[in-house]
Amino acid sequence: MRRTFAYSISLLLFLSGGSLFAQDTILFPLKIRAGVDIAGPGTYLTDKDNLSLEGYISYDRNEKMSYVIEAGYLNYKYSQYNYDYLSKGIFTRLGVDFNLLKPGMSLGKYWAGIGLRYGLSVFNSGTPYFQYENYWGTVTSSIASKTKTGHFIEITPGVRTELFKNFSMGWTIRLKLLISGGGDKDLRPIYFPGYGNGVNRTAAGISYFLTWNIRYKTRTVITKPEVPEETDETEVESTNQQQTNY
Amino acid sequence: MMKLHSFLSVLLMTGISAIMISCAPEACFEETNAHLKASFYSYSTKKQLAPDSLTIFGLGQTAKIYSKAKNVQPALIPLNPSAGNCTLVVRINNVTDTVEFMYSSYPYLISKECGYTFLHTLDSQAFTQNNIDTILIIKPNITTANEENIRIFY
Repeated sequence: MRRTFAYSISLLLFLSGGSLFAQDTILFPLKIRAGVDIAGPGTYLTDKDNLSLEGYISYDRNEKMSYVIEAGYLNYKYSQYNYDYLSKGIFTRLGVDFNLLKPGMSLGKYWAGIGLRYGLSVFNSGTPYFQYENYWGTVTSSIASKTKTGHFIEITPGVRTELFKNFSMGWTIRLKLLISGGGDKDLRPIYFPGYGNGVNRTAAGISYFLTWNIRYKTRTVITKPEVPEETDETEVESTNQQQTNY
Repeated sequence: MMKLHSFLSVLLMTGISAIMISCAPEACFEETNAHLKASFYSYSTKKQLAPDSLTIFGLGQTAKIYSKAKNVQPALIPLNPSAGNCTLVVRINNVTDTVEFMYSSYPYLISKECGYTFLHTLDSQAFTQNNIDTILIIKPNITTANEENIRIFY
């Protein structure tokens, strides 16, 4: 009986030891993040007619996926020889980020991946002045400001890295597809919050985020060790062996 | 890791290039005038026939839209967006008629670069019949697109 028990314990240890040998574990910090975009204020320094403020909060569901909510404000003015345009409002984007880095590489400090967003924008858009000229003369008119709602989706590849403890930096490219700009087909919004040029069906943008993050939980993640690649020498030896056999 | 780094570098450069292109100020290359497009037809053969000489101008206007022009097909006629109707003097092969168009106008955004124009919806027309026999409305929506709006049979 004692021998059987000892044998069982040995088998258990062997199996668990084997399991430990085949798999590594890392302690992966799951985090809550809050970030602000510095690209918008940076643009404002050179273009005082385009104030865009934006921030986000994200919550790690696991080592691969995070829930993200973004929100922002836009005050946009545009003027050219034949019209003036104003757009002011707020937007929010909801979505997820997927980390393409392996947990062992990411370690909760580095992120390189892709996100998906649904964007909703509520804004006031109007044209206080426009001018049209043809054979009959010049007509000056305006289009009253109206509250509109825009919808769009985004694909957001990007990177982020931890510079100091609890402090990260990174950029995100925004590839946008307009669902609805909120205007009728004749008077689409020239520019609206969160999206950009509402005349175009697609748009692109970039955000550069400074992020503060804090760990809310540590998760044990099992990682598979990399299978060592065969060296050239081994290949050469096996080739020689095959040649010898011939 | 190198592959990932290269991929991200390419992605960043592509994104920045796309943004630079999209942010660069562009010129307006689109049609900005919604002309009424009038094709000329022979009343006898019912086939397209450009006048040998065509003169068109607005009643009360000194400038001419066409002045003894040859082989005009179709004629591009601007409408007055600040009025609900306009009267044109149409001289086909030295025979003069007047044509009045009744329409409504509304603003239309062409693009950010081009700004706004006016489109029109043609309601009806009235004309003298010195040389013109019939005017048919084919497409009442007058836009910047190259579409025939009316047919003038003479």
